[in-house]
Amino acid sequence: MTERMIYLDYAASTPVDARVLDRMREVAQTNCANPSSTHAAGREAQDIIAAAAGQLGRLLNVDPDTLVWTSGATESDNLAIAGGARHRAHRGKHLVTMKTEHKAVTDMFETLVKEGFEVTWVEPDGNGLVSPEVFAAALRDDTQLASIMFVNNETGVIQDIEALGAICRERNVLFHVDGAQAVGKLPLDLSALPVDLLSLTGHKFYGPKGIGALYISDHPGCHVEPILFGGGQQRRIRPGTLPTDLVAGLGMAATVAAGRIKADLEHLRGLRKALWDGIRSVDGVTLNGDPNGFPGILNVSVEDIEGESLLLALEPICVATGSACNSKSQEPSYVLRALGRTDLQAQSAIRFSVGRPTTMDEVEFAAARYRDAVARLRKLAPGAVA
Amino acid sequence: MSLDPYSPAVRNLFAAPSHAGTLADGTTVLVEDQGMRVELSARAEQGRLAAMRFRVWGCPHLIAATEWVCDHYEAGPVAALEVFPAARIMEYLAVPTEKTGRILVLEDAVQALGRSLAS
Repeated sequence: MTERMIYLDYAASTPVDARVLDRMREVAQTNCANPSSTHAAGREAQDIIAAAAGQLGRLLNVDPDTLVWTSGATESDNLAIAGGARHRAHRGKHLVTMKTEHKAVTDMFETLVKEGFEVTWVEPDGNGLVSPEVFAAALRDDTQLASIMFVNNETGVIQDIEALGAICRERNVLFHVDGAQAVGKLPLDLSALPVDLLSLTGHKFYGPKGIGALYISDHPGCHVEPILFGGGQQRRIRPGTLPTDLVAGLGMAATVAAGRIKADLEHLRGLRKALWDGIRSVDGVTLNGDPNGFPGILNVSVEDIEGESLLLALEPICVATGSACNSKSQEPSYVLRALGRTDLQAQSAIRFSVGRPTTMDEVEFAAARYRDAVARLRKLAPGAVA
Repeated sequence: MSLDPYSPAVRNLFAAPSHAGTLADGTTVLVEDQGMRVELSARAEQGRLAAMRFRVWGCPHLIAATEWVCDHYEAGPVAALEVFPAARIMEYLAVPTEKTGRILVLEDAVQALGRSLAS
């Protein structure tokens, strides 16, 4: 008998909320115009986009004009980092980020190194956090941009963005935050945070895939060079025809999220606690990350277990070994290696991530399946008692 | 082309390995290489492998391949251990080429068992 699939990979992607889907369908069926067109239908498409910007602006408490639509967080990260660094290259070429950032960030920094930039990779502590002191020490007189992830996609660790951003403001360093795992999940007030650039994507908070945004603060000196060319849309910062239905969907996802972040967090806390309570008794289990991290993510390693076999033994539970973006590789997670985990610990890591639709029954089943899988694989290993 | 990294054969053998364990009265060898551990245990009677068991610390392909190997040799002559059907295993289980080294660890274990039984 095929067992029912249990999806516990909400940090990789979330299902589209029914209200988001309704809004997207409505827009797709009623407006086919190019929002750059000046005729009536085009202007109507522009209004739809402006309304969505208003919805997202309210979620983040920012002026809608500070938002630039992109195809998702990867593009937003690339635009913020490359665009920000290149815009300031005449002042200096030193950049700062962390070893535990998403590939969309680290790969962009690697690309900039090939262009002559110099990058300092800040080490996290054993829980994945960077202290303001360590971060400040990495900044130099010629540092132009720093990029730190708000909520780590593998461990759920939440960085002290307010403190890190304050240091950047004091040192006149452009501060980019990858907010892909934070927006729509944590209460954010960007008007009160010293953040210059923030990346986000729709599909991480029950919106559609293929649409994201970059917040570009109106703080003096905050500007990015475009990385795409071919039109004058979005003040030439990000040219290209906007997908009106997807933008409308992201706007609706923002409105839905704004109304239920507190309830979502409460729900996730209960689920994460039940999951951890059901797993922590397994001999050799380690929590990867900060116990006070984002409650939607629980990352655990276990001694003496081969990670790939564990993942298969956990089926039909859909979980991740590392970030989804990196999980086709069998290499141990570079994020967990940076936290000081051994190759074996990192390789046995499983990221459970729960979401709005997750039930207590599902996490209890997952915890039981985890205990059984570890026991079965240990019994199978040489040296086990027959 | 399927995105599933495991063939149905690997899934079946991994899920229900009937030869898992160690024979208390058998000859046992352990080979460790490339981060994998393969233990083979066999009891020989009148030149034949009366029973074979295994334990593995490794990936699903290696676990499935070791289960298949035990089933393949069991009840056959001890001398058969001299021939290891690597290509047949790779093809039947659809083992990705980057995991060839792990199948060679299994081959080392089979050969070690053959030598141990012969001595």
